[in-house]
Amino acid sequence: MKPELLFLIPLLPLLGASVNGLFGLLLPRQVRGAIAVLAVAAAFGVCCLLWPLSQGGGTRTVLATWLASGGLQADFGILFDSLSASMALMVTGVSTLIHLYAVGYMHEEQDTARFFTLLNLFVFAMLTIVLADNLLLLFLGWEGVGFCSYGLIGFWYAKLENAGAGRKAFLVTRVGDVFLAVAVLWLFAALGQVGIPEVNGAAASLAPATLTAIVLLLLAGACGKSAQLPLMTWLPDAMAGPTPVSALIHAATMVTAGVYLLCRLFPLVSLSPTAMTVIAMTGAVTALYAGTCALAQREIKRVLAYSTMSQIGYMFIGVGVGTVSGAMFHLLTHAFFKALLFMGAGCVIHLCDGENDIYRMGGVRKRSPFIFWMFLAGGLCLAGMPFSGGFFSKDGILLAAFAQGPGWLRLVWFIGVATAFLTSLYTFRLLFLVFAGPARRKVHGHALPGLMRWTLPPLAILGLGAGLLNLPPLYGGHEALHHLLGPLAGELPAVDHQTEIALAVVAGGLFLLGGLAAWGRYRTFPGERPAWYKSFLLAGWQADLGVEWSILKPFRGMARFCYLGLDQSLIEGLLQGAAETCQKRGEALRRFTSGRVSTYLGGFAWGLVVLCLWFLISLVRH
Amino acid sequence: MIVPLSHVLAFAAAMFFMGLGCVLARRNLIMILIGVEVMINGAGLAFVGASAFWQQINGQVLVVLLMALTSAEVSISLAMVVYLQRRRGNLEADNYNEMHG
Repeated sequence: MKPELLFLIPLLPLLGASVNGLFGLLLPRQVRGAIAVLAVAAAFGVCCLLWPLSQGGGTRTVLATWLASGGLQADFGILFDSLSASMALMVTGVSTLIHLYAVGYMHEEQDTARFFTLLNLFVFAMLTIVLADNLLLLFLGWEGVGFCSYGLIGFWYAKLENAGAGRKAFLVTRVGDVFLAVAVLWLFAALGQVGIPEVNGAAASLAPATLTAIVLLLLAGACGKSAQLPLMTWLPDAMAGPTPVSALIHAATMVTAGVYLLCRLFPLVSLSPTAMTVIAMTGAVTALYAGTCALAQREIKRVLAYSTMSQIGYMFIGVGVGTVSGAMFHLLTHAFFKALLFMGAGCVIHLCDGENDIYRMGGVRKRSPFIFWMFLAGGLCLAGMPFSGGFFSKDGILLAAFAQGPGWLRLVWFIGVATAFLTSLYTFRLLFLVFAGPARRKVHGHALPGLMRWTLPPLAILGLGAGLLNLPPLYGGHEALHHLLGPLAGELPAVDHQTEIALAVVAGGLFLLGGLAAWGRYRTFPGERPAWYKSFLLAGWQADLGVEWSILKPFRGMARFCYLGLDQSLIEGLLQGAAETCQKRGEALRRFTSGRVSTYLGGFAWGLVVLCLWFLISLVRH
Repeated sequence: MIVPLSHVLAFAAAMFFMGLGCVLARRNLIMILIGVEVMINGAGLAFVGASAFWQQINGQVLVVLLMALTSAEVSISLAMVVYLQRRRGNLEADNYNEMHG
């Protein structure tokens, strides 16, 4: 196996994007979709075939030198080790299913060439992040992901809100990107390297304060892409895009990039205990915040958006408490069940004639038992039903947090457990409101395209069974993912079996409790019953208002001051004053250019008089 | 030198200023040109007087130069006068104010 073949993985989606982007409008509709699906599926196939290359220390291969200037050396290089290989396998696999689903979902849309181009480009950019062997190339993919999300979230740009949502996603994530860029440049300035293994290897030589600052900058960059506090406001609005895009953003690409970045640089990150605690706290606070917001959301996709934010928070906790394998495990299971939930939500919306509002749904179970079972599978994984994939992965992270002992991380663990209860509560609320009881609104409903139905079962199986990927010894597994990642996996929590069982029982109990609470409250639709705290949670703790008041208002004020106070008054005043003076004087002088010869001759005569006077004066003075 | 230099200079100055007065007072182009001629000749007279006083040839050379210059000037300006008369039908200097700012 030639290692150069690894470049096929990112380049195949790029090829698909190029074909669709350049010639898509000339091709028949079916061909466009087929090209997009085939490109990603082929990348998945290549990924599977080349899997052996990731074993041992992994493979590093270089296609060409990208930048070489002085000490800076950045290649188009791929680092294919167990971490990037498992991530790339998930990205291509889940993306393939989402692309298939998108073909069904978009079968009435006109502008599919642009859609599939951006979709393929999105996967390409994500694979660049995953496979890059140096931070500059990673940053290139990072920006590419930002651009594609902008194009896809605002895909239906004719509606102004959609275009605004795309812009918001682009700008808010861009705030994080700036921090990441600073971190990369700082690393280069401090170490003279940008290659990921080199940076990880040389990280120990950095001063502790520098290291902490760099890791915090990396965290800020990760927060932007992964929608963690305080850069999370773009994610709920990103639901403006088509549903396959939401699935792609939430499951396979984009939001997982931040977690992956921290995992990729974990040897660097783990050297700063302060920054690790900050990472864990950020994750915990975001998880709790998003969990409470999800409780009050009315749009089905916004519930899922907040749940993603919350689950990514768990992954940050995982990184923060030092278990990369736990974070990656949750990332993988989450990718499966969240893609499933989004695609299921797309089916539900389709069945309800485009209705988004869960208060106006109800009774979908009777209309489509198939979708109900699929959605239920995803929901149970999300809520953490014992022995589903989500249960094991979430439990692993909470266990690792608990094992860190008392202190700040115990608080993180407690928040994580509280959020687990909230997760169960809002998931069952969603399930009851959408599927239970009679339909609250008369719908005609369409038949679902086959591609939208049959892409769900594989994800359901993967989501429910994903626990096998990293089954703890307690349940008879041997933590396959942890061993696969080897030296990259971080530490295993050192706890005895009693604690482990106790924590699992707590998690299972919270799952049941949340389910029961939702059953008590939502098994029949209780009516809308508006309240101030509901609108507060619905608006995401008024985060947008907070941003408006804390950043945008002062910014606009400053801009207005610069425009009106400085530019218009001071600079324009000075310039205009000078110009006006010149003009006034010119007007006065204008009288002399009468155009009449006699005036000019008079001028000569006066000149003569002056000359004569001058001579006279100098005569007198000598 | 029979005539004292001061007399020559006074006479030259008188010619110059009479010519200047003509240039300033008259509006007819031909009269202005005549005034210019008188002024130039006044200046020429001053040169000749000075040349005779200091026994230097330079002043006379300059006067010859001045005569050549004057003839050239007169030929060009008379041609222009004829042209303007044909073109506009009058020679009032105040009618030509195209350079009005």
